[in-house]
Order: sequence, then C-alpha cells, then structure tokens
Amino acid sequence: MDKSDRRRRPFAFDKMEGLVREMKDEETGVRVKSQKLFLTSIPSAFAGYNIIEWLMDRLTVDETEAVHIANMLCQYGYFFPVNDSKTLTLKDDSSLYRFQIPYYWPCSQKNPDNVEYAIYLSKRLLRNKQRHALEDYEMDSLNSLKKNLQNKWEFITMQAEEQVRLSKDRKKGEKIVTDSQERAFWRVHRPPPGCVSVMEQIPIKIGGSFSTKKKRSSEDLRREVELLRNCIGRTRVKTSVALDGLVSFGETYNEYDPLITGAQPSNPWVTDDPTFWTFNCPMVEAITEKRIKRWALSMEDLVSDATGLYEFTNYLRKEYSHENIRFWLAVNDLKRSCQSQILQRVREIYDEFLAPGAPCEINIDGKTMERTHKEMKVPSRFTFDGAAEHVYTLLLKKDCYPRFIRSEHYKNLLANGVQPSARRRFFGLVGGAANKKTDCKDRIRSTAGCPSTQGTSSSSVLQANQSSSCSSAKRRGSDRSLTSSPHELPINSVKVSQSHSQSNLSDIPYRGDLPCTPSSPSSNQDNLSGCVEECGEHQLPAMMTDDVCPWDVADGGGGGDKNKRSLPASIAEERERRLSTSSSRKNSGSAAYDSAASADESQSDSVASRLRRSCGLGGGSSMDRRRGSSAACTPQQTIDRPSVSSAEDFDLGPSPESRSPEKQQSTSPHEPAEATSSLDDKLNRKKLLKSLSLARKQSVTPVINVSSVDRDNGCDRISADAVDEMAAATTTVAEDVTSVDGTGPGSGGGQPPETVACCSGAEAATATATATASISDGNDVCPWEDE
Amino acid sequence: MKDCKSYSVAPPLADIALRNIWNLDMALDVNTRSETVELLSREADCLKHKLEEERKKLNDVTLANVAERLEEVTFLNIKPRRLLKGNQAKMLCCDWSPDKRHIVSSSQDGKLLIWDAFTSAKEQTVTMPTTWVMACAYSPSGNLVACGGLDNKVTVFNISNPEEDPSAKKKTVGTHTNFMSCCLFPNSDQQILTGSGDATAALWDVESGQMLQSFHGHTGDIMSIDLSPSEIGNTFISGSCDKMLLLWDMRTGQSVQSFEGHLSDINSVKYHPSGDAVASGSDDSTCRMYDLRADKEVAVYSKESILFGVNSIDFSVSGRILFGGYTDYTINAWDSLKCERVSLLYGHENRVTSIKLSPDGTALASASWDASLRVWA
Repeated sequence: MDKSDRRRRPFAFDKMEGLVREMKDEETGVRVKSQKLFLTSIPSAFAGYNIIEWLMDRLTVDETEAVHIANMLCQYGYFFPVNDSKTLTLKDDSSLYRFQIPYYWPCSQKNPDNVEYAIYLSKRLLRNKQRHALEDYEMDSLNSLKKNLQNKWEFITMQAEEQVRLSKDRKKGEKIVTDSQERAFWRVHRPPPGCVSVMEQIPIKIGGSFSTKKKRSSEDLRREVELLRNCIGRTRVKTSVALDGLVSFGETYNEYDPLITGAQPSNPWVTDDPTFWTFNCPMVEAITEKRIKRWALSMEDLVSDATGLYEFTNYLRKEYSHENIRFWLAVNDLKRSCQSQILQRVREIYDEFLAPGAPCEINIDGKTMERTHKEMKVPSRFTFDGAAEHVYTLLLKKDCYPRFIRSEHYKNLLANGVQPSARRRFFGLVGGAANKKTDCKDRIRSTAGCPSTQGTSSSSVLQANQSSSCSSAKRRGSDRSLTSSPHELPINSVKVSQSHSQSNLSDIPYRGDLPCTPSSPSSNQDNLSGCVEECGEHQLPAMMTDDVCPWDVADGGGGGDKNKRSLPASIAEERERRLSTSSSRKNSGSAAYDSAASADESQSDSVASRLRRSCGLGGGSSMDRRRGSSAACTPQQTIDRPSVSSAEDFDLGPSPESRSPEKQQSTSPHEPAEATSSLDDKLNRKKLLKSLSLARKQSVTPVINVSSVDRDNGCDRISADAVDEMAAATTTVAEDVTSVDGTGPGSGGGQPPETVACCSGAEAATATATATASISDGNDVCPWEDE
Repeated sequence: MKDCKSYSVAPPLADIALRNIWNLDMALDVNTRSETVELLSREADCLKHKLEEERKKLNDVTLANVAERLEEVTFLNIKPRRLLKGNQAKMLCCDWSPDKRHIVSSSQDGKLLIWDAFTSAKEQTVTMPTTWVMACAYSPSGNLVACGGLDNKVTVFNISNPEEDPSAKKKTVGTHTNFMSCCLFPNSDQQILTGSGDATAALWDVESGQMLQSFHGHTGDIMSIDLSPSEIGNTFISGSCDKMLLLWDMRTGQSVQSFEGHLSDINSVKYHPSGDAVASGSDDSTCRMYDLRADKEVAVYSKESILFGVNSIDFSVSGRILFGGYTDYTINAWDSLKCERVSLLYGHENRVTSIKLSPDGTALASASWDASLRVWA
C-alpha cells in the first residue's frame, strides 16, 4: 500500500482533475463552442470570464480567488490561451481558451522524455514556417538535443516525418485544435527559460525515497503495538472539556495577539516604529502594564518573560524562599547544557540544593529525594527532573506563584506599569507641543525609570536611534561573552581598582535586597537594586548558580582577611571570570549576555558609578562607601571588600535566627573571620538593621541637607565617600536623562523639565537614604570602625 | 557441517531423519518469523480499531460548536510589509532570530542568508557545499544557525560576528542516512533536534556531535518537527510521509501518542501555543488539529476551493489563527476555533515552502520558490 501510494502523483492532481472534469461536463460545465473573432472562427474555445463565472458559482468563492484558481489550472495546462502560446495565464475577459485533452494532462503520463520533445520540435521544423516556426529557446534546445541524441537522430526525424504525414489527412479545424494542445503540453513541460514551472518537484518527493524501500520489520510492529497499547490505556478528558480549554485560551490571549488586536503602541512592521520592541525587550525597567498583566495569566507566562522571572525571583528572595526557583532554573539549565558539562553540573546542583546541609537546601519530600538519590548514581541531564517537577508544580506553581500575584510587590508593579498606547497619539500628531510633553513624560518615566535595568544595553539601544537594535546589540554582545570571554578580562581587570564594585556584582543583590523589605514602598528601590542585579547576578539562572553562595567566596576573602591584602586584584579578577564564564555558559537565556556582556563592553564608568550608587543603596552602605573611597585612593584597600561584603550579607540579612538551621550553620564558621573584632556582632547587626531601616524611612530628606551634613563631618572618610557617591549617582541620572533626551527615537527634543527634576530627585532621595544610612552606620555601628 | 557430524556418529538412516528435522527447524523458524509479523500487524490493526472506539466514546461536541460563543475575527488586516529578494534560487526554509527582526533563510542553491528583515537588508551570506538546504534554524541566543538538507547533515555556523566569515566557524554536528528535512534548537544552543528522510529524528549535542537520543517509530520520511511550548515540556511532535503524527518523550526516546487522519504526506506540524493541542498540514490540502488531552482530531481546515497541498503551518500567539503556506502560492489564515477561513494572502509567485510567526507574534515570514521572503503583518 505504501508503495502504490508513494508512486502516486501529488494529491492536488486528483482534486484538479476532478474539477476540470466537472468543468468539461456538457450540461453543467463551461460552455465550449466555436467562437467568432472578427472574420475567423475559432473552434472549441471559451472565454476567460466564462470560466471565472463558473468557478465562482461552483466553489462559492469571490472573483479574486476564482481568478487565482483558474490561473493555477491554466499553469498546470488543463486549459490554455488560444492566441498566446507564450504565457500561461488566464484573464477575466473575453480572451479565448481551450481545454487540454486528458491525454496531455500533466500527470496522466510519466514526465515526457527528451526523445519525444525532439520529435515534436523537428516536426514543427518540417511544417509551415509561418505558423509553426520555433521560438528562439526552442531552437536552442533542439540544437542541444541534436548533439545529445545523435545516435537516435535518424529515428527521431523518421518519426517526425511520419507524424507530419499523418496529420495532413486530418480536417483543418481538428488540426488546429490538436496542434495547439500539443504545443500547450510542451509549454507546460518544457517552459521557456525564466518561467515558473509547476511541474518541478522537490527532489525528495520524486523517486519513492526511503519509505518505499523500507519494509516494516517485526521490531517496528512491536513498537507500534506497544504504543497503541499505551494509547488505549491513556486517560482522556471529554472532548467538550478539552475544546473549552482551547477556546478559553484563545479568548484569554486574544488581547496579546498582535495580529488580531494589534500591538501597543504600534506594530513595528506596520508603522516602522520599533517602540514596541523597546518596550518588550527581554529585560526592561519600564514594564508595560499589559506585560505585567500577562504574568498573572499563568506561571509559564511569568517565567518565560525574563523581566517577569527577575521580578518573581526578587520577590521570592525577599521572602527567603528563592532557593526553589533557583533550583528549578538550575535544573532547566542542566537539561540544556552541553554533554561535557553534565557531570560537573549535576554535582554542583546537588551540592548546592540537595546535599544535607547544603547552602540552599530545597525542601522536597522523602520519596522524591530517594528517587533523586537513585538517579544520582547515573548522572544525566534528567537526574533532577523529578525533584524539579515537584518543586515546580507543588511549591512554585501552587504556592509561590499565587502569592506573588497577590502580593503588594506585584500590585505595585502593576500600578507602575507603563501605558505605551499614549505614544500612538504622539506619533499621530508630530509637532503637537502639548502632546509631546505628555508623551515625553511617559518616555522619561520609562527610560529614567530604567536607567539601569537595561543598564547599558537600554541606553545604548536608545542611542542607536535606529533603535530596537537592542536585538542586534544583543547578538553582538552575547557573542562576545560566548566566544571571547578572554576579551573581557583585560577590560575588567583594568577597571578593577576603579570600579571594584563591579567585581562585587555577585554579592550586591544580597545586600541590596535585604533592606528592600516589602515595607519600603517606593519602586525606586526596586529599580535601583534591580539595576545591580541585572548587571550582575540573577537575571539569569546560570549566574545564580555561580553566585549562589556569596558566603563561599567570602570565606576565601574573609578568612584570610588580613593575610590576603596583597591579593585584591586577583580576587576581583577571579570574580570577573566567574561572571563572564557563567554568562557565557548560559547560552539559552539570551538576556543574560545581553546585559552582562554589554555591561562589560563599554560605558564602564557609568556602570561603575551606577553600581556604586546602587551598592550604596543596597544597604551595606557604609562599608561599601568606605571601600569605594579606599579603592579610589589605594588599591590596597580593596581587599577588605569581599570579606566585608560577606559580613554584610549576614549583618543585613535576615537575622540568622529567623532562618533555617542549615543557614545558620553555614554562617557560623564565617563569623569569626568576618567580624574579627566585633564580639557583639549580633547586637550590632540588629542595631545596624534598625538604623538602616530608619534611614530608609527618612529617605525623603533633601539632597542638600545630607551632603551638607557630610561636609560637616569633613575629614570623615565615610561621608566624603558618600558625597562622592552622591555625585556619581546624580551624574548618572543626568547621563541617563540626557541620553534619553538625545536619542528617543523620533521623539527627540522637548523634555518637560519637571520630570527630569522629579526623577533625578527620586534618585537623589534614594542616594540620600544611603548617605544617611552611612552616617548612622558611622555613629551607631562602629564595629568595623574599631578595627 | 552437521552432515559430517551425523555421518561420523550415526548410520545413514538416522542422518536422513536428522536432516529432516533440520529442515523442519528452518521452516519453522521462517514460519514463526512471518507469523510474528503477521500476528503483530493483526494485533496492531485490532488495537487501532479499539483505540478509535475509545476515542469516540468521549466525543460529545465539535470545536465549531464550542467556539460559537466567540466573536468572529473580523479585523484581520494582514498585508505584505517587507519583500526580501534573494538570489535566483528557490527559498526553502526560514527562521526568526530571537531578536524578532533578523531572519535566516536557506535555499535551493545552498545559500544561507541572514537578513535584517526590518530594513530588508541582506547581512550575511553563507554558502553550503550542497543544494537543497531544506532546513535552517536560529539558536535561542541568536549566535548560531543550523542548517542541512540533501547532504544528510546538520551543520552549525556561528554568525555572531558579522565581520567574520561564518563558514570559518562551521561545525558538522550530526549525520543522518537520508536527507535532513527539519531542525530546531530545543531551548538551548547546546542541542539540536533534527528530523530526516531516514524516518528517524535525533537529538544531538552541538559541542561533541554526539547523538544524545534517536527517535524511531515513523515508517516514512519525517518532514517536520516542533517542540512543546511548555517550559517544562520534554516532548516534541513529528509529522511524516507515513501520514502519522507522533508525540515523543525526549527523555526516553519513546513515542507516547499518535494521530492519523491525513490522506497524504504530512508536511508540517506545529504545537498550539497552549501546548494542549497540535496541528498538521498535509499534501491532501487540509490542515488538522488534534487535542492531546482528548486524544483525538478536533478540527479539519479545508475548503473545496483549495486544491493544493499545505507545506507549512504556524499559529498566531493566541492560537486563534492558523496560517498555512500552500503550494498554490497563497497563505490561508484560518480561524482555528471556528474552523473557517478568515483571510487569503496573495503575493508570492510560486509555492510557499515555509512560514514562521515572529517570536513576539507581530509578523509572519514566508519563504517561497519565487526566490523571495515576505514579511506579513
């Protein structure tokens, strides 16, 4: 059966022939008759509009489609124009056409061979020059056939002469018809060069390929039987239930389907305005409301959006339960990594999430654990699938996700969601100053809001003006991190002394997050801490896995604290390497590189300052500040950094008591090293926490006050640095704003100054917060100062 | 050998008896073998029948009925927005870069072109030492493209650096025993999934070229594969010239679900964006949709006026619209729920070989034998 099937011509021919047969029906088909054209009578012909009308009637289609179908049939040679042997098109007018006889239908015989073609051509040569003269291309092919078929040429000419002789006996009208039919047949099968040939087939579908040769072995059958058995046992849902699901899916996502409901602000392909893409980059700060709403539709929608995943992780981190999502991401990553890394990754994941007392032990039931342990004996990319599924369905999907959607965090995001539709108005009325203003506000919000998410990439996007080249920037950027991480190293190590904070990327989020307790209402904080994390750590799972345990790293730095003074650069560099390699390893998450790579790539200064600012904000402000300044003066002091920062992790972190016992365990060994002299560190920590949160609440304090306070303190290193920090922060803000200014695609100019002011104000306010924090640190907390 | 032995041990009579037994043995062997094949195919038929019965049991409504409550898709204003003119060669496949604006295309003359579709600019050209490059795919990072065709191989190029010649960084990852008809990166730059004319699909490790898993079960050329859209999904589907659509578990290499119904070769398969249904397009000029949970065919998209085969299909973001690229140069847009055609897109001047929705669903790209790509929106 397979064989006969395979040999069969394409299915379409059955359908076409069925239709043409109906067409030729004497009663219900297209009327064929001798048509008078001026003085000549043309036998067996019909007009173009006849067939169009018939098709419209028969298939109930509109005129365009009827013309299209008729043209297809014409190209396949089921009928052909009487007066034009060159083109096979059908026009919806009174031009005349004639049916082909079934003998000449395209698939009724095998593809005609060259001998037949040669006979046909030589036959035409023998006949009336005027009516049967060969076209140039036909002449050419006749000549080449002559060469190729030399040994048969005698036979060919004989055949041709015979056929010419026979045709002489026929009636004139009949002769005209058959000649034209033969000619049309060859027009289809040997088209003039440059013409579309419908007879061409895909090479793979011509000769019965594999399937004709293959006989089904008993093994195939056994496999099939097994499949069928399993299929019968399958549990099915009622068709109505299943279909209802499909229909409601369609309803739900209707508004997210750009081809049905359009894109906000506009579809780039329609309007040539790529704003839509800017809003929908994998990582953005100004998240459109629609995008945020979509996260609430399903967990898949949330985690498949890089920004959504990032916010979700952020939220979970605040709840101290982000080990689940991190584990799940790590397992996904494992599945997608190359074979050579599997073993190592399995180990890493086990050590980090599953081993007893692991730094981020996940909570799965005994059965799953047992299964995983069994799987661990033969590590593969699917080793943790069971555990990951458990985590995903039971913990993330049923617990964390709904909580996230109900949380203040999400509600805040939603409230701050951007409405890009406003932009459409703007594009409609270019030059309308009033509109421009509101519009720009919008834009500022979006861009100033994201001075850093996209950090470098978004601003560069905007600068690129061609814009939306975020994507192309990505391609390049990511490439770099993929293929040439060594390139980054020199850049980074140069930077080390100046922007050591970048080498600290991995730690920052931890510090940065903790103070950002849900109680802190402003989204600024999110933004800022966001920016750091974006560049650094957890936009991507791979990076997370690398950075999971700041403690570990800290251990090295912290343990040796004083001894290792001479190593600062190397530590920092090592971090860099970790960062870059991790980003390169994470191939699948495109966004990863995006930021990481581009962050490395350029704008090192602004990144550095941004980072510094955000570190400051991040809560471990005093320490950072101090380090910042010290780094600025003496590279030597950079050393403190890793150690201290890790200390801060604990200091500012949830008070260890409140966390799981494992966590506490893991912290304890570090403690002596970290806070060498502070015996009362727990107390101090609490104090610090308090003071920080206090500072945070006061964050509204105007910029000037703080800096003046700082200045009062004068020689105090901390405050001096704070001032630095402030300056850096404000300059970056300024930068951001200007970059927005200059580059908003199309929008260009008029930025309402209030917004600039207000947003820089906001930045400043947060910076102030950090400054105050640092001050209070200085006054309140001194354990480090004692040192 | 047996003869010699028997001569030395036993008298001639016994030898004859022994020989008879030997012959009998042979006969039995052949018999049982053909019998098992026959038995198995009979069992398979029986099971198929039973399966159909099972499937019919829960069949209480039709999709068009359920979809009655929906409003019609009225304002579907899809037009050609970009025309990317290639060389003279037929375009056979195209794929979108994850950046939503670049497209890779492969053609009959072995050229792989990288386009910035937004500006209609040709950015890079890679020449393959083969003709009929029937499949090409972008990796999730946008750094790699994979392609293959009549050369039976899947080759990966690194195109991330536009200044460099991509063929310098070329890597042959896997080889089939017949043409390669389709390929995709399963959410990872490190793996490639391919379908081939040797009736198998295979998962390859890009770095080492190792075959991680092969998928046996089809009895005809595999023409198309598609990966489950779900984040945790480890499944993919394949459509073949044996008119079957199979659902595979990537972990075990086993097929777990199968659908039949088409009257001719399946040229294209696609997951519904919900992941709960799959669709197929075939040479029999129909598209069909199967629901995985109901385990049955739920819709046929056909029209009397459509005579030609479907070469490629894709869903819009909401799954509401099913696009099909046809041999008759057109693209039909179906309302997948109401099972009606909502739009007919003219523009190409030869058969449409491949259509792909852009990653964000804003546009549809189509490749055609008329040597051009078009972007519709």
